[in-house]
Amino acid sequence: MSKANKNDKSRRKFLQNLGLAGVSAVGGSALLLQGCSDPKDSASGKKVKVLTQDNQLVEVDVANLKPSDNIKDLDYLQDRGREGIPGKKFVMVVDLAKCKNARKCMTACQSAHQLKPEMHHINVLEMNDPVRKTSYYMPKTCQHCDNPPCVSVCPVDATFKRQDGIVLIDNERCIGCRFCVAACPYSARTFNWTEPKDAEKFAEVTYNMELNVPQKKGTVTKCAFSADRLREGKLPYCVSACPNGVYYFGDSNEDLVTNGTTKMTVRLSKLLQENAAYTLMPELGTKPSVYYLPPRQNKG
Amino acid sequence: MNYYKYYKSIILICLCFLAVANANAQSDWEIPEKEQENVSFIMFDDDMILEGSIAYENSCTSCHGTPGQDDYMPMAPSPGDLASDQFQEQKDGTIFYKIKKGRGSMPKFEDVFADDETWNIVAYIRSFNKNYKQPIPDLGGIIIPEYKLKLDFDENVDKLVVKVFSKEIPQAEVDVSAFVKGMFGKFLLGKTQTNELGIAYLDIDPQLPGDAEGKLHIMVKASKGYGLAKLNQKMKMVQPTIHKSAIEGRHIWSTDEMAPIWLKTSFFITIFGVWTILFFIVIGFYNIKKAGREDLH
Repeated sequence: MSKANKNDKSRRKFLQNLGLAGVSAVGGSALLLQGCSDPKDSASGKKVKVLTQDNQLVEVDVANLKPSDNIKDLDYLQDRGREGIPGKKFVMVVDLAKCKNARKCMTACQSAHQLKPEMHHINVLEMNDPVRKTSYYMPKTCQHCDNPPCVSVCPVDATFKRQDGIVLIDNERCIGCRFCVAACPYSARTFNWTEPKDAEKFAEVTYNMELNVPQKKGTVTKCAFSADRLREGKLPYCVSACPNGVYYFGDSNEDLVTNGTTKMTVRLSKLLQENAAYTLMPELGTKPSVYYLPPRQNKG
Repeated sequence: MNYYKYYKSIILICLCFLAVANANAQSDWEIPEKEQENVSFIMFDDDMILEGSIAYENSCTSCHGTPGQDDYMPMAPSPGDLASDQFQEQKDGTIFYKIKKGRGSMPKFEDVFADDETWNIVAYIRSFNKNYKQPIPDLGGIIIPEYKLKLDFDENVDKLVVKVFSKEIPQAEVDVSAFVKGMFGKFLLGKTQTNELGIAYLDIDPQLPGDAEGKLHIMVKASKGYGLAKLNQKMKMVQPTIHKSAIEGRHIWSTDEMAPIWLKTSFFITIFGVWTILFFIVIGFYNIKKAGREDLH
């Protein structure tokens, strides 16, 4: 008897379950279908111009655009930052004859990268030549070497070189050993000894290694050639902030560099050749991506 | 006594002179009514703003500073900030006239910029005014010619050939300028005029690196009077370049992904081998100790 009852119960239960499953299946598929429905009928006819990843300008209907969550997704930002921009090789040319120590590059950089006034991704140094009694100003940034000693010594693969030539730091991996600080012959790196500026304000921001913000206490930071701006096709923060036309920036694959102040575009090879360009400490074989055009010999 | 009297009157005259000079400087800049109503016949676009910003940076920034930054030179009369409401209230024609003619310490740019170049600067200044609506020009019977451009490349002499038509008729004496589009700006190839057959030739440096197919992104602008035509085109002109990745190949700073398989396998075999030997020795010692204990019993 009990067995028969049990059987009866289970059959009823089975039918009930079957009914439930059926209803949910129908409901679910309806929802799914709705989700898959073609958005064509909602096209507004209003077009906007957007820049694709390979720098092509395309027109898209507004209805096909949706806000991206990617920019808040750490994994996406990390992968993008590691990969770099294909087909590019970024270079900077610093014309020392034009630098008048306006220091706008430094302030623009520090406000973009959440740096305290004493921390520098770019620093304008006063150079004195005691023999010739001359002086000039030299903006010094990370040289983004093609043979970077800092990357060789990093034990945790936190600092790395990308395919577009930019040397970056991933402060999610950085353990703060400062081997790279010691290895860099240009003293381009600084260390977050204390809590960074406006730490509370940036607490909720997703880490973007191309901007290296939010900064983290106990990690190394340095110039990133404003990789986040380059992705948008814009010149770096320091380059566009300079009022004196000191910086040229561009892609050496195109052999073109653009002055950040005058926006004049010139041939890189010609600019370097005609002005007797040099790199810092060439004897070390680091092959910097930052070139200097010699200063005028002012009496200092 | 007499001297004192003279002295007083000289000071008085000087003061009067200064006051008049100051009033002169402060007085409004009179612009002829007709010039005020002057408007650009070309609608301002991003390209004009970019061109204008280049001209502005080279010729205006030294006194006027960057618009919106209030970093102009302290002069009398004050150059003022160009993004300010006070400045932006002026009509296009007024700004155009002021740039062209100049006054006092503001030099005249009539001989420096052609009219279209001056309008580029106006376009750039206006780009700082969000509420600005460009007045639609009243053409009043003027017919703006519609130019069509045709581009070709003569590889025997490395020249870009630009042919300018208007209604199928080749146009002579049209100003043609050509650029190569770079990532951050445009590189001027040259400026020239079309000949009587409506053709303009521009030199191309064969050393310019192109993309993987040897193509360059060419931007051509042709203008004559009020007529203007622009054309963007990717053309095969130079030798194809293969862009190498900066991390290609093996370096001392390469990540382990670049390491060859033989290195990876021999590394792991060595590590495992050493550890196995160590375990073998430890187990051996343990067995000896165990055997010793059994002997005692």
